Amino acid sequence: MTKNSRLFIVPGTFEQDRFAKLIKGLTVTFDVLSPSRSFDLLDCHDQSLRASGRLLIETEGALHLLQEDVAPLAQTWIGKGRFVQDLPDGPVRTALRGFPKLRALMSLGSGTGKTGTFAVLDDLQKTQVRGDVLLLSTKDIQVTLLNVHPMRGYDRAFEAVCAALSEMLGAASRIEQMFHVLLPKVAPYVAKPKVSLGTNEPSIQVATDIIRTFLTVARQNEAGVIADIDTEFLHDYRISLRRIRSVLSLFKGVFSPERTIALKREFSELMEPTGRVRDLDVYLLEKDTYFNLIPDNLHVGAEAMFAQFSKERTSALAELSRRFQSAVYNKQMRNLALLFAEAKYLDPGPNAERGAYDYACVLIWKRYRKVCKLARRITPDTPDEVLHELRIECKKLRYLMEFFAPLFDRKDFKTLIKPLKKLQDNLGLFNDYSVQQEALLSFVVAQSNTQGRANAQLAMAVGGLIAVLSQRQAAERASVIANFQHFDSPNIQHLFRSMFRNKED
Amino acid sequence: MKIIACYSNKGGVGKTATSVNLAYAYAQAGQNVLLCDLDPQGASGFYLRVKPSKKLTDARFFEDVERFTKSIRASDFERFDVLPANLTFRDFDVFLSRMRNKRSRLKKALAAAGSDYDVIVLDCPPNFSTLSENVFKAADLIVVPVIPTTLSQRSFDQLVSFFDERNLPKKKLKAFFSMVQRRKTLHLETMEAMRRLYRKRFLQTSIPFAADIERMGLNRAPVSIYAGRSAASAAYQALYDELENGVVTTK
Repeated sequence: MTKNSRLFIVPGTFEQDRFAKLIKGLTVTFDVLSPSRSFDLLDCHDQSLRASGRLLIETEGALHLLQEDVAPLAQTWIGKGRFVQDLPDGPVRTALRGFPKLRALMSLGSGTGKTGTFAVLDDLQKTQVRGDVLLLSTKDIQVTLLNVHPMRGYDRAFEAVCAALSEMLGAASRIEQMFHVLLPKVAPYVAKPKVSLGTNEPSIQVATDIIRTFLTVARQNEAGVIADIDTEFLHDYRISLRRIRSVLSLFKGVFSPERTIALKREFSELMEPTGRVRDLDVYLLEKDTYFNLIPDNLHVGAEAMFAQFSKERTSALAELSRRFQSAVYNKQMRNLALLFAEAKYLDPGPNAERGAYDYACVLIWKRYRKVCKLARRITPDTPDEVLHELRIECKKLRYLMEFFAPLFDRKDFKTLIKPLKKLQDNLGLFNDYSVQQEALLSFVVAQSNTQGRANAQLAMAVGGLIAVLSQRQAAERASVIANFQHFDSPNIQHLFRSMFRNKED
Repeated sequence: MKIIACYSNKGGVGKTATSVNLAYAYAQAGQNVLLCDLDPQGASGFYLRVKPSKKLTDARFFEDVERFTKSIRASDFERFDVLPANLTFRDFDVFLSRMRNKRSRLKKALAAAGSDYDVIVLDCPPNFSTLSENVFKAADLIVVPVIPTTLSQRSFDQLVSFFDERNLPKKKLKAFFSMVQRRKTLHLETMEAMRRLYRKRFLQTSIPFAADIERMGLNRAPVSIYAGRSAASAAYQALYDELENGVVTTK
C-alpha cells in the first residue's frame, strides 16, 4: 500500500555522489536548484509548531509546511495576516487548524533558500521514487531538507532510498534537531516551566527557584509586548508575576517579614502598569462576542466604544513599552534576578528550612479546607462578594498545587485538579462578566458630561451589553454550587485527606 | 468510478496509443486514473516504461484483490497509475470459462480493486472472447478506434452485429476515426459513408495519422509530453473533451 513521505534533514550540503553510490541498481538525477530566495521561519512565541515537529517557512508570498513523514504542503500567503485564522484558505491553513488562536506567527529566523527536485530511475528510465530538495542557509549554517515521496508499486525502491539516506545521516534526523542547528540561539519558550524540587529541599530554596524561574519567563515576554506581536506576551508576563506574588503571599514565613513585605510591594508595583493594557486587550479580543450579544441597531454605539478602546490601548501600550525599555526598569529586573540567583542572598524567615514536602502538605491542606469551608456556605442568596472570595481561594489552592506538583503522584494530582479547574472556569466567567459590567459602566461615566449625560448611541449599546452580561453572570453563578459539589465529592475529599492531611500530625 | 474501455476487434488500429493518451488527458483534468493493460503483449505498460507484472498471473487478476492492488504501479505522471499486463493474460478465456458468472468477473474485480480511482481505462486485446464480453459488461463507455478503410469498416460492422445479436447496449459504443489521412480519398469517402450508416455511434473527433503518435514507442510517454503542441496531442485532448463533456472542438 502507499506509504507516507519521509523527511531527511542533512546538516551542511548534501553529498549527492555518495548518495548515488549507495542506491544500487538505480540512478538518481538532481535537477538544478532554483535561484536563492529569502525565507523566514515562522512559529509563534511558544513554538507550538516546533513542539509538534513541524516547520513553517515563508518565501515570497508562499507558505510551506514541512512535517515529518508527511508530504509537504504549500499555499500562497497574500496579505500579512499574522494569525493562522487570518490566512487565506488553503492546505497549510487547514493543516494548522489546531494552532492557538491568540498566538501570532512571527519570524524566528531568516535566511535564503533554494528548492529543487530529484528522481530515482530504473534501467528503463522509469521514475520509481521522487523527492524535493530544500536548501536553507542562514548567516552561519546550511541545512538540506530532503523529502522523499514513495510512488505506488515501487516500495522497494523507496525503502532503498530511505535506507541509503539513513545510512548517510546516522541517527534519524528530526525537525527538532534541524531547528537547533539552524537557529542555535532560539531556545524553546515555556510559559509554565517545571521547577524541579526535592522532598526535603528547604522551602526557601523552593520559593527562590520558583521566583527565579518566573522572573526569567516574564523577561522573555518583554520584547513581544514592545513589538506588539500578540496579546499573549503581556498575558504571560502578568501570569509570571502573579505566580511570583502568590509564592510571596502563600509561602508564609519563608522569607523574613520585612523582606516579604518589601518584595510583595515591589512585585505589585511591577504588575500595576500592565493592568490597563491587559484589560483593553481583553475587551478588544471579545469585540466580536460583544457585537453578537446585542442587536444590529445598537452596533453604532458599540463601534464608537471599541474605537475608543483601541485608541486608548495604543497610548497605554506605548507607555508600557517605554517603561520596558527604560534603564530604570531594566536595572530593577536585573537586580531582582541577581537577588533570586541563590537562596542565600535572601533573609530567611521561620519556615525557611522546612522540608518542601511537609510544608507543601500543610499549605495545601490548609488552603483546601479554607476553600471547602467557604464554598459549603454558599446558597442562592449568598452575596457576590463571597463568590469572588471563593474564586481567589481556589486560585491560591491551584497555584500551590502546581508549584508542588513534582513532589506528588501525577495521576492523583490530575484527578484533583480536573474538578477544581472546572469550578475555577465557572468562577472565572462569573468574575469576568461582573468586571466587564463595571468596566462598561465606568466607561459611560467617563464619557459623560458634567451633568451625567452621555451620547445616546453609546449609552444604548452599553446598556444592552450590561443587560446581557448580568444575565450571563447570573447563569454562571447558578452553576457554582453544582460545580463545587462535584469538587466536594467523597472521592476527592478522601484523596485530599490521604495526600495532604496525615503528614501534618 | 467510471470504466472506459478502449476496444476494437481489429488489431493495429491505435487502441494502445488511445488508451495511454486518453488516460493521461483524464489525469491532467484532475481525475485519478488507472490504466489497466488487459492485452498480454503489454504495450501500454511499455509506452509508460512500466515493466510487466510478474506476480499477477493466471486467475489472480479476477480472484486476488490484494495481488491486483499490489501490482498497480504509479506512472511518471501525476494521478496516473498503471496495472501492467502479464503474459498469462492471454489465457484469460480459459480461466473465465471455469468460473461462475463468467461474464461479470471483470466488473467485480475492478469494483473491488479500483475503488481509489475516478476513471479506469481498459486497454483491451483485439478479439471476440469471454474477456471482451466482460469488457462490454463492465465498461460505461467503449471507445472504438476505426481506421477509415474497408477492412476496418467490416470489423466495425461485425462489432455492431455482435451487440445486436446479444442485445447489448449499443449506446456504450463511442467510435472515432483513427489514423486518418485526409489526403486519401478512400479515407474521406469511408468516413462519410460510415457516419451516415452509424449516425449515433461516431464521435466528431478524429485522430490523424501522425509521426508524433508513432514516436510514442521511442519516447515512451504520452504524446503531449514530448509533442505538446502537435496536432496529435490536440486531437487526443479533443477526444477527451468530447467524451467527457460532450464538447466538440472544431478547428
